[in-house]
Amino acid sequence: MFHGSGLFALLLMVLEWTRPGLSSPLRPICDLRVLDHFIKEAWDAEAAMRTCKDDCSIATNVTVPLTRVDFEVWEAMNIEEQAQEVQSGLHMLNEAIGSLQISNQTEVLQSHIDASIRNIASIRQVLRSLSIPEYVPPTSSGEDKETQKISSISELFQVHVNFLRGKARLLLANAPVCRQGVS
Amino acid sequence: MTKMRSDRLKIVFMLCLAFVTSGGKYFESKVAQLIRDETEDIKCFVEGKKDFTCFWEKEDGTNYSQDNYTFTYTYMNENKMDCAVSSLFLLSSNRSVFFCKLPKALFFTSLDVQVLRDGQMLYNRSLNVENILLTDPPRNVTVWSSGKEGQLNVSWLPPAVKYIDDSLIYEVRYAVEDSHMGKVEETKASTMLVLRGLQPDTRYKVWVRVKPDGVSYKGYWSSWTSPVIAVTPPGSMDPLIVLLVVFIILILCLLSMTVILSHHKFLLKKLWPDIPTPEHKFPGLFTVYKGDFKEWMSQNSGSMWARSVQMYTEELPSPLEVLSEVSLSPLDERKLVRDEDQRSDSGLTEPPHWLMEQLRALQENPESLSRSTLLQSHDTYITLNHSSGGQREDDVFEETLPLQTLFTSAGTSSINASHSDLGSLRQSSASGRLSSQSSFEDPNHPWPPKGPGYAYMAVADSGVSLDYSPMSSSRIIEIGKRSFYANEYKNEIFGYKWPFSAQQVQSGY
Repeated sequence: MFHGSGLFALLLMVLEWTRPGLSSPLRPICDLRVLDHFIKEAWDAEAAMRTCKDDCSIATNVTVPLTRVDFEVWEAMNIEEQAQEVQSGLHMLNEAIGSLQISNQTEVLQSHIDASIRNIASIRQVLRSLSIPEYVPPTSSGEDKETQKISSISELFQVHVNFLRGKARLLLANAPVCRQGVS
Repeated sequence: MTKMRSDRLKIVFMLCLAFVTSGGKYFESKVAQLIRDETEDIKCFVEGKKDFTCFWEKEDGTNYSQDNYTFTYTYMNENKMDCAVSSLFLLSSNRSVFFCKLPKALFFTSLDVQVLRDGQMLYNRSLNVENILLTDPPRNVTVWSSGKEGQLNVSWLPPAVKYIDDSLIYEVRYAVEDSHMGKVEETKASTMLVLRGLQPDTRYKVWVRVKPDGVSYKGYWSSWTSPVIAVTPPGSMDPLIVLLVVFIILILCLLSMTVILSHHKFLLKKLWPDIPTPEHKFPGLFTVYKGDFKEWMSQNSGSMWARSVQMYTEELPSPLEVLSEVSLSPLDERKLVRDEDQRSDSGLTEPPHWLMEQLRALQENPESLSRSTLLQSHDTYITLNHSSGGQREDDVFEETLPLQTLFTSAGTSSINASHSDLGSLRQSSASGRLSSQSSFEDPNHPWPPKGPGYAYMAVADSGVSLDYSPMSSSRIIEIGKRSFYANEYKNEIFGYKWPFSAQQVQSGY
């Protein structure tokens, strides 16, 4: 009996020590040039999508985050609120752009879509490295205030680039982990 | 009370409005800049996070006031809003504009603005606020020299806009003072720059301006800062060049030293020639006798004369047969006769000995010598033998001229002849080969009543080179019954043969 429990404990310890992948603490990525790289790619996608209007249409309306930033309001928010806003926005964008993969698109557009999906995932990794709280799905209290409905792909990519330039960047620039090291 | 309070509030409000409308100190320059650069009808710019201004120019030829215009703006997903229109007169460009300062600036979202004049749409524009950033120029520009040649350090502070510091690029312009040619350098996300490749010891002017980098924020170039002047450090000699020059100089010095040392004697002779001194001609004059010429003379008299002859004639001393002018005493005459008899028997060899004895006697008696010195020309002469006649002369023409030398005292008639002879001799000595012969005739020979003797002949001319050949010098020629003692010596003067000395001699008669 004790041998069994002892073995079990030993096994747990070994597994704990060799646990696969994940959740090893990332080194904080405070350099904004990483995010700037993603923003530049988002610009390229937006420019490419701007040209196609008739072909690029989405069947149903999708919900995307609001990208507007009022600095006075933004500065009044605390870090958790800002983090929640950014994380939920990224989530929404990811879903919206991901839904585009389903329908048939041209190669150029498909490459942009793939790049955007990859970049959103990378931004999430960056936020995780900065110990930014993860996305928490909203309770069923109501619609999120900071959302909007769009119906075209070009609008979607406009929102995408504006969101990254605005809220996401502001959050990264003011991450407490990064400011501690600088000051 | 309340009226006063309301008045104060109004005053405060007006002041605030005035302050707001005037904006910062760069407001007018920004408006003027956008009038130049922006092509849109409605020109908008945001100076920071919240100073958002849109303006439009007054139409030419119209006289509308701000009351005629209405400005509306609509953010995405928001309601349309109005904005109060104001007017501004720009002194710098002599223009009038209408502008509106929007109360709310929302970034990263789309905005639509419209201008209506008397209810009619005049202009409209759709824009994003984060794309029209026009900040103030950089602050606190400082330029200093780090001491390195041709370099200047420039540093500045970014404009006081939050969240934008890391999204800005800067442009630095520098030019030599009073020059219109300037260079521009760009730097990203850095508030310091090192200018390189500048001229040393030169005054430079530096300007800086700023603009968003275009990734997160976009906008316009700010205006240039006021110029800052700095002086580059003076140039210094490249140490490598200095070293090379020193090395080359050393090598040249070594080469010249080597050349000088190897030819120092030659150079010394050329540059500092020896002053010629006659010391070598006067051995011992300066070293032994300390310049006392008389002393030296007394010690070296004989050799001195020989040397003097040598000096002046520059020829080897020629042997002379010197026959002394000695007045024969009866004793001597008898000795002569005896000797002659002996000689006639003995033959060739006697006369020279006899002559040498006489010469020695002469040397011992310097008085007699003095009477017959070189200088007393009237005592010394050479005469031909009168009585020889033509035949005899023919006989001995070439080889032996029967010269009968008479030894006479001063005053005899033969002197004249001898003078002339000597004169001719002198002449001949200079020009030709004189073959002369001295002979002594025995007393038996009918001679003019002059005692036998022998002439002392000395040739003092420098041109004479006497070839005293032993063979011909003492030869006895027996012509007939007479025996002569003939000393033949030939004067070779520059190789010129003078065969007709007889003629000369004859002319002397």
